[in-house]
Amino acid sequence: MTILKSVSARADAVGTFRYVSVWLMETTARWTPTTPEMEAKVMFGRHIWDYAQMADALGKRTFELRRHEHFTLAPSAAYTALLKEAGAAHSTADRISALYDGILPGLIARYSDYIAGTDKILDEPTIVIVDRIVRELARQRAEADELKAVLKLAAGPGPHLATREKKVSSMLAEAAA
Amino acid sequence: MSDDIGYWQVGGITLRAEPAREDCFTVVYRDADMHEHDDHSEAARRENLHRHMTNEMVSLEIAAACVHEFPDAPWELRMELARQCWDEARHVKVLHRRLLELGGYKGEFPIGTLEWNVTCALDSLIGRLATQNRTLEAGAMDVVGILARNVRDSGDNETADVLEGILADEVQHVRFANRWIKKLVSEDKRQLMKVASAVRFLIEANSKFQIREGGETNAIGVKLASPEARIPAVNVEDRKLAEFTDDEIHEILRQAGFRTLVPNAVPA
Repeated sequence: MTILKSVSARADAVGTFRYVSVWLMETTARWTPTTPEMEAKVMFGRHIWDYAQMADALGKRTFELRRHEHFTLAPSAAYTALLKEAGAAHSTADRISALYDGILPGLIARYSDYIAGTDKILDEPTIVIVDRIVRELARQRAEADELKAVLKLAAGPGPHLATREKKVSSMLAEAAA
Repeated sequence: MSDDIGYWQVGGITLRAEPAREDCFTVVYRDADMHEHDDHSEAARRENLHRHMTNEMVSLEIAAACVHEFPDAPWELRMELARQCWDEARHVKVLHRRLLELGGYKGEFPIGTLEWNVTCALDSLIGRLATQNRTLEAGAMDVVGILARNVRDSGDNETADVLEGILADEVQHVRFANRWIKKLVSEDKRQLMKVASAVRFLIEANSKFQIREGGETNAIGVKLASPEARIPAVNVEDRKLAEFTDDEIHEILRQAGFRTLVPNAVPA
């Protein structure tokens, strides 16, 4: 785990987390009208607001870390490619699996790593935000599991995507890492 | 399943194609093809809930499309739209719960998606806010205000509670649109042209599908009145909360024949 010592490094990490939160918001928003099942639309609709709040809190934090408010940084090329692949899922089963079993587990792990690697006192404001996000993402995964059972969805590409996600060493862009 | 929702031509205008629907739903475009009842039967109550549930689904889809299709909109406005997604999603869920309690089910009656077809054909966010939030959702405030009262009068307090809860949320959706339209127009007067153009488009599109002059009989044999006779009484109290100006409310009242929804007396 990288130890985040500088304000600049923390700002880059938080800006990258914000990028991912906005991506999650926009992806679930794009999927809402193009996914047929009413129950899936309802879940995406709830999570759009979750992701917006995550992006908002992270964006306010970047300002405190000496960047402009809502500073946003694209992730590394490898991580961006994974997001693109997950976002291209077509069927309801593939979408739910790609997002909630493919992307979110790794995201929870990376956010937990951030919490472990930053200064517990100096960076406590970020820890509070990221810790809340981790718990909300875990709650979302549980909701997705319930939905899969209700809709009897087939297994999708999530586990495969999650395996590949683990092989991406850093989600931070090369310049920021 | 497509990622992109295209467009379709009807009567010389271009509308957005339908959002994705489960096979259990039958989508129709005219009120005459819906199964609206004119009584207080069990089927009428279920149809009403079913119609509102699927209308909320359309509202969710419109708000979500706005979040996705206008990435350069001010962040605070995107936050409002994202919050609206959550609200509309909860509305779908609570209406579905009530529908099931009354013995209904998804797809029991035909549904419409016209608000989506019209609103999401517009290529400006301010146009969509003017159409969906400021016009159609504001109209829904009038309808739901009356409906909640009628449902309570008929003894169905559970459904009335649900409708009143939804109505409170809808006030905020109309209010934030009113605020943002004013703000965007004050920053750039050309935005007003987009608002006017969007409202004209809504009127033109609506004219293609509305009940014909003199009325029509719907799919289950119920006589539907002419469009002008179907304008609900104006929910003045909630329109004020949604920050319509007095002049705007007066104009809406004039169009509705000065029929108002009188606020309930507050118990002492």
